[in-house]
Amino acid sequence: MIPQIEFVRPKTLHDALSILAESGDGARVIAGGTDVIPGFQQGDLRLKSARTLVDIHHLPELKNVETRDGGLAIGAGITFTDLAKHPIIAAEYPLLKQAALTVGNVQIRNRATLAGNFVNNAACADSVPPLLVYNAVLRIQSHTSVRETPLSDFLLSPNQVQLNAGELVTNIFLPKLSASHSGEFYKLGRRRGTAISRITLAVLLKVTENRIEDLRIASGAVTPIGMRFIDLEKVALGKTIDKSFLKSLANELGEHVLSKTGIRWSTPYKLPVLQQMFFQLLCRVRGCSGEAIR
Amino acid sequence: MSADSFTVVGKPVVRQDGREKVTGAARFADDLRFPGMLSAVMVRIPAAHALIRSVDYSAINNDPALAAICDASDVPAAKTVGIVRKDQPVFCDKKVVTPGDVIAMLLGESEEELLRLRDQVRIEYELLPVLTDYCNALAPNEPLIHPEFGSNLIVHYPLRKGNVEQGFAESDHLLEQTYTTQRVEHAYIEPECVIAIPREGRKEIQIIGSIQNPFTARRIVADVLGWPLTHVRIQQAELGGSFGGKDDIMCLLSARASIAALKTGRPVKIRYRREESILESYKRHPYTMHYKAGFMQTGKLKAMKIDIIADGGAYASMSPFTTWRTVVQATGPYEIEHVWTDVRAVYSNNPYTGAMRGFGSPQPIFAQESLMDEIAVQLGMTPDEIRRINGFRAGSITASGQELAQHDVNLVTVLDTAVGQTAFAERWQENEQHIKPTWTPSCSLDNKDFIEPDQLLQKGIGLATSFRGCSLGAEGTDAAAAYLSLRPDGSASLLCGLAENGQGLRTTYCIIAAEILGIPVDSIEYLDFDTAYIADSGPTVASRSTLMGGGAVKNAAEIVRTQLEGTLRKRWNLATDRSFVFSSGLVALVDDPAKYISFLDLCALAHSTGVNLSAIGWYRGPRVHWDESVGQGPAYFTYVYGCQVAEVTVNIGTGEVHLDHITAVHDPGTIINLLGAQGQVYGGVTQGAGYALWEEITAPNGKIKELNFDEYLIPTSLDLGTITPLFVSGKETYGPWGAKSLGEPTLELTAAAIANAVRNAVGKRFFNLPLNLEEILLQRKLRPEDPNANQ
Ligand SMILES: Cc1cc2nc3c(=O)[nH]c(=O)nc-3n(C[C@H](O)[C@H](O)[C@H](O)COP(=O)(O)OP(=O)(O)OC[C@H]3O[C@@H](n4cnc5c(N)ncnc54)[C@H](O)[C@@H]3O)c2cc1C
Repeated sequence: MIPQIEFVRPKTLHDALSILAESGDGARVIAGGTDVIPGFQQGDLRLKSARTLVDIHHLPELKNVETRDGGLAIGAGITFTDLAKHPIIAAEYPLLKQAALTVGNVQIRNRATLAGNFVNNAACADSVPPLLVYNAVLRIQSHTSVRETPLSDFLLSPNQVQLNAGELVTNIFLPKLSASHSGEFYKLGRRRGTAISRITLAVLLKVTENRIEDLRIASGAVTPIGMRFIDLEKVALGKTIDKSFLKSLANELGEHVLSKTGIRWSTPYKLPVLQQMFFQLLCRVRGCSGEAIR
Repeated sequence: MSADSFTVVGKPVVRQDGREKVTGAARFADDLRFPGMLSAVMVRIPAAHALIRSVDYSAINNDPALAAICDASDVPAAKTVGIVRKDQPVFCDKKVVTPGDVIAMLLGESEEELLRLRDQVRIEYELLPVLTDYCNALAPNEPLIHPEFGSNLIVHYPLRKGNVEQGFAESDHLLEQTYTTQRVEHAYIEPECVIAIPREGRKEIQIIGSIQNPFTARRIVADVLGWPLTHVRIQQAELGGSFGGKDDIMCLLSARASIAALKTGRPVKIRYRREESILESYKRHPYTMHYKAGFMQTGKLKAMKIDIIADGGAYASMSPFTTWRTVVQATGPYEIEHVWTDVRAVYSNNPYTGAMRGFGSPQPIFAQESLMDEIAVQLGMTPDEIRRINGFRAGSITASGQELAQHDVNLVTVLDTAVGQTAFAERWQENEQHIKPTWTPSCSLDNKDFIEPDQLLQKGIGLATSFRGCSLGAEGTDAAAAYLSLRPDGSASLLCGLAENGQGLRTTYCIIAAEILGIPVDSIEYLDFDTAYIADSGPTVASRSTLMGGGAVKNAAEIVRTQLEGTLRKRWNLATDRSFVFSSGLVALVDDPAKYISFLDLCALAHSTGVNLSAIGWYRGPRVHWDESVGQGPAYFTYVYGCQVAEVTVNIGTGEVHLDHITAVHDPGTIINLLGAQGQVYGGVTQGAGYALWEEITAPNGKIKELNFDEYLIPTSLDLGTITPLFVSGKETYGPWGAKSLGEPTLELTAAAIANAVRNAVGKRFFNLPLNLEEILLQRKLRPEDPNANQ
């Protein structure tokens, strides 16, 4: 049950930040509420001492999408529905659009926000792998400060992020990407609709004359939080891309993940499938297969 | 009356309650509030098997938020209830046998306050050994769940026909397999809710709730209160789904609410959250089924030996009836000379199991239809061939020795229709011949384990057939009543003793009455269900509503029509052999259509001359019977037949199964509401698909893990492709114009068809439902609590 709690809806970002500054420890931010509301029901510890909910869902300052420094700055409060509809995101950062369309269902996507997704920082947050391969940088504001942090530093551990009381994520910057990058997002759930991810993968690849010039790999739901595999990416640099190399890369991904998680009850299924589908995904990105995975 | 002379029967009619339900205007029990109404909160302990040592309310007794506490000491008469065996306490005071058990109930105005108080009730208990491996329930050293019965055996049904050992000896081949099915939840959209209101002087109780079977609830409440039935009045609120699941649990909640209402003198509402609903309500039985078949090189089945054990869980509930249907149908729709079947239901500390759509048939159908396919493959036949060789035809003798006569035995017709419609045999063979890549999922994949991308998705097609006895059969008395009253303005009111369960029976009944009287469906007002106004017609179960209730409605409408005909004969001075057509609001002479009167004028005429235009219709099923010692006899008075073809795509890299298309061919007799019939198929197939691929209630140590829909996965609209319902008609003696059953037949064989299709796609056979990702890839389930999970 949701306890009796104060609910405020500031009109501007400025007001929101000053309310947060005044309310101190007892304030919690609510955007779409699709994690917060079930969180109350499930006794989420982060909500235990909540006395005030500050609603930021409607704030226009958090909905903007604008080009900046050749990249794209996306308002933190954009819903997945709006995100998926945005033409620049679709054209320049297609993995993010693909991921957005796999979140929950239409009703959830109409409310759920991009920042809410990674601030909650569940292992299975679907926006995280694409944002990681796009090298997303967050703008974080408080009543008195502004700072910028790469998403990869911001995500600390399950449900923990580098965010202080009084701070809001206000936008997400995606640096410009060369047109010769191609990539894919992949999500495996137990069913097609409203499915919690069992495995997500995001891959960006740039190949010149059959050699790997840039490879970025991130996964979700297989490690305690979504992560990049920098070591693995380095191994791939300059390598000739062919099926046998992709297979060995898939095997190595498995080893990396195993070293992070150890053997868990789900490992006998998840680890081989991760490798198998990573290989399939790389083949698709490479264009070895015309067929969609689903 | 022949099919093409119907006016509304068989047409698509939008259901009466459809608009209210989709616009949110329909009022469910939890939408109702009464002055002074109290909320209720259950007190439980997190144990699957425990002795209750003491219950101490001293910390909350004087709290102003508490209006009253009810526990076993407040139960006036029957302390334990049960539809067959009275083994379930209304409140537990000695022992808890499953975590859903309720020890006490707190009453007060604020649910939130009561939840706070609940944590302060101090209960001391001693844990007892927990029995979860139900296949072991009858072993000598296992704990007894209900020691008063002397054994964990709830029921045992043997069936003996011919000489099975001789049959095996004469067979060319033998095949033996073991199959298991899982425990599943009904997942009705509306969780349990009931309100009890004490009437003047606390001498009567009025109950309004989401109740599947109001007459059963009336009987149970009367037993618990020690009252005559007349003092208990049950009204049904709009019901948000049941699927067989709002029977025992709602009887129990009605009893608890009544006790509290009488104790406090105030209306009491009990409403469950989803978690509590899944925790306490009963489930579909898990089965472990051992099948041995003897068959000839020609494909002819010779002998079958079946040993089935059903997990009844903590209480007997409907197990004695559910497993009886199993014993009747366990060999499937096939003629077999020698049969030896044993079906046992046992107690365990698992969640208790009872009625759920299908009722003892989805489990054996999965086994027997998997077995039939395996036999076909072994003999180099197609699945349809093996079924054509063995399938029931007119005059076939069932395993219980019943001759199938007096109705069209449509098994081969539904099979041929489904096979023809889907080009089944060719496609099945093509997939069989296709070489399927295999890989070994392990921590480090070999080069050869990586699947070529164009081989990742594999197609499969599979089918299953079934037969199903209609209505209750030899389970119990089978009769129903309906009340119809014509008003002077030609409109009518109608009520049947079978309660709407969300399947649309109100509309079906109105169609039947409208057809007989030749008036528009919407000129018939269907009355709200109230046990005070209509005769006990048994429960809304066993796909019997259209057949039994429809028969009663038709009878009532015919009685009234006869009255109107009499009135007209008198007025027109006609001989008794002159007959009439009632159509389009007119009543005309059959042999002189120019002579007619409007239905409205005729009603007014009858009314003004004091003719009785109200009637109670009655419909009774013919006698059936069963010899329990050998499992022989005419179990049901008629049967329906079905065949479903599933087309799937399997991702062999992940184990995902997508349902591309399901073709469902059924023989439900005459269709009354086409839209309702199609709806049954869409819903049944979807539910059957959930059973095949996703749904499972696990209960490590007796405690349910999947307490909400985040973990208990039912299919969404994205998970199923097209469903094509096709109906085959045939002659039938019983039911209104020969309308039989459809609700359960649509669900019972879907999982079997899907499992066969998956086999066709990947070349592996599966023996354990559900076919989830891990089962497909590893051929086992993976569970956090599994001690071998890491190997
Ligand atoms: C039925 C259902 C299905 C779901 N399916 C998926 C799925 O498929 N994939 C998936 O990834 N997730 C899924 N989710 C989870 C959830 O919808 C997402 O994580 C969503 O993006 C959260 O966004 P929100 O705006 O609703 O966050 P909220 O619940 O409002 O907030 C979540 C957290 O973020 C904080 N927060 C929000 N905005 C900001 C901000 N601008 N600055 C600082 N802190 C902020 C809040 O304080 C809170 O701690 C599902 C949830 C439900 C209920």
